[in-house]
Amino acid sequence: MYEQIASLMNDLMLQTGLTELWWGNIVMIVVGGILLYLAIAKKYEPFLLVGIGLACIIANVPGSDLIKPGGLFHYAYQGVELLIIPPLIFLGIGAMTDFGPMIANPSLVILGAAAHLGIFVALIGAKLLGFTLAESSAIGIIGGADGPMAIYVTMKLAPHLLPQISVAAYSYMALMPLIQPPIMKLLTTKAERNIIMEQPRYVSRLEKIVFPIVISIIVNLFLPPVAPLITMLMLGNLLKECLLVDRLAETAANTLLNIVTLILTVAIGSTMNADLFLNFKTLLIIILGLVAFVFGTASGVIGAKIMNKLSGGKINPLIGSAGIASVPIAARVSHVVGLQENRYNFLIMHAMGPNLAGVFGTAISGGIILALIGV
Amino acid sequence: MKIPDSIEGAALLSIIDFFLSFIFIAGIGVILYLFPLLNKLGEVKEDEF
Repeated sequence: MYEQIASLMNDLMLQTGLTELWWGNIVMIVVGGILLYLAIAKKYEPFLLVGIGLACIIANVPGSDLIKPGGLFHYAYQGVELLIIPPLIFLGIGAMTDFGPMIANPSLVILGAAAHLGIFVALIGAKLLGFTLAESSAIGIIGGADGPMAIYVTMKLAPHLLPQISVAAYSYMALMPLIQPPIMKLLTTKAERNIIMEQPRYVSRLEKIVFPIVISIIVNLFLPPVAPLITMLMLGNLLKECLLVDRLAETAANTLLNIVTLILTVAIGSTMNADLFLNFKTLLIIILGLVAFVFGTASGVIGAKIMNKLSGGKINPLIGSAGIASVPIAARVSHVVGLQENRYNFLIMHAMGPNLAGVFGTAISGGIILALIGV
Repeated sequence: MKIPDSIEGAALLSIIDFFLSFIFIAGIGVILYLFPLLNKLGEVKEDEF
């Protein structure tokens, strides 16, 4: 009788995940817990980190069927793997973005390229550390601070690194308010941070309608490898700006974007299984991602300082760091750091120009990399 | 020509990409400078929507 009970209990235990649990799972469950803590207690990008954090925990509970074929998280990942989710995210972002600040001040667009030095520092750094050129390029694109673009380029060049790269990209984007301000303050003087910029010009409806059409043509003509993403961004923006299809624009910007964000976050979190994630390469990628963000922020600020000198002191160098992309987090950081210096200095609209240009800067860099590596 | 999978290749890729990024972005900037000219073509009256 006792033997039967013991045997049945043993069978029951084998049905659970307890026997497959190892210390790596415990570490990753703690990591998931930290992500949830940052999202819920510290309010760092809860839209992203709540889903990533919980899915990370579930992915490390061995008994869970959610991440196996047949499980919902597994199918969420298929959406990422098949590159369906990133263009849909860009569609939603386009439908909620006003490109007016970028159109209003074309000279600041150059900061969208200046703030991407981090991509190349990380790329060369990764190569020095023994990654292949394709892997190094995918790691470098973390410095573009653009989640969907990082996923897109990684899936084309080094799909096996998707968990590490997407987690690094989204985590550092969420942590921008911690990473950027010390670098911005270190590289600028008090007088520079106090510069109050001129009000941008009014941008007409016609300009806003023509913008997505022109950009779609340019990107499809010159950068076909990344055209699917930027074209969807521009389609979303055209839906918004033409003012004729409010329901479509609103659906893309709200309902659709919320759904695909939900799918994306659980897909990324579900790839953070200890078996795949806990290795030395992950540590290197996380460090290289931080290096990329630091150099990108620094080069953007230095670029804006140069432009400030050339313009006779009219440009606040704090807006340079927004050129790294990560819309609108980086622009908000520029604004907040400016406000800390002078509570009447509202930099948000000025920072949005380079911030939006940064999206194109990342797309251009990603497109050139994909074209040159021959994917 | 394929870029070699070496440090030199990474440096070459980075230099070309960084340089071309500035060219492309500057090109977009130049086009945006021309955008105010669109307003001479006409006006889209928002209150008609």
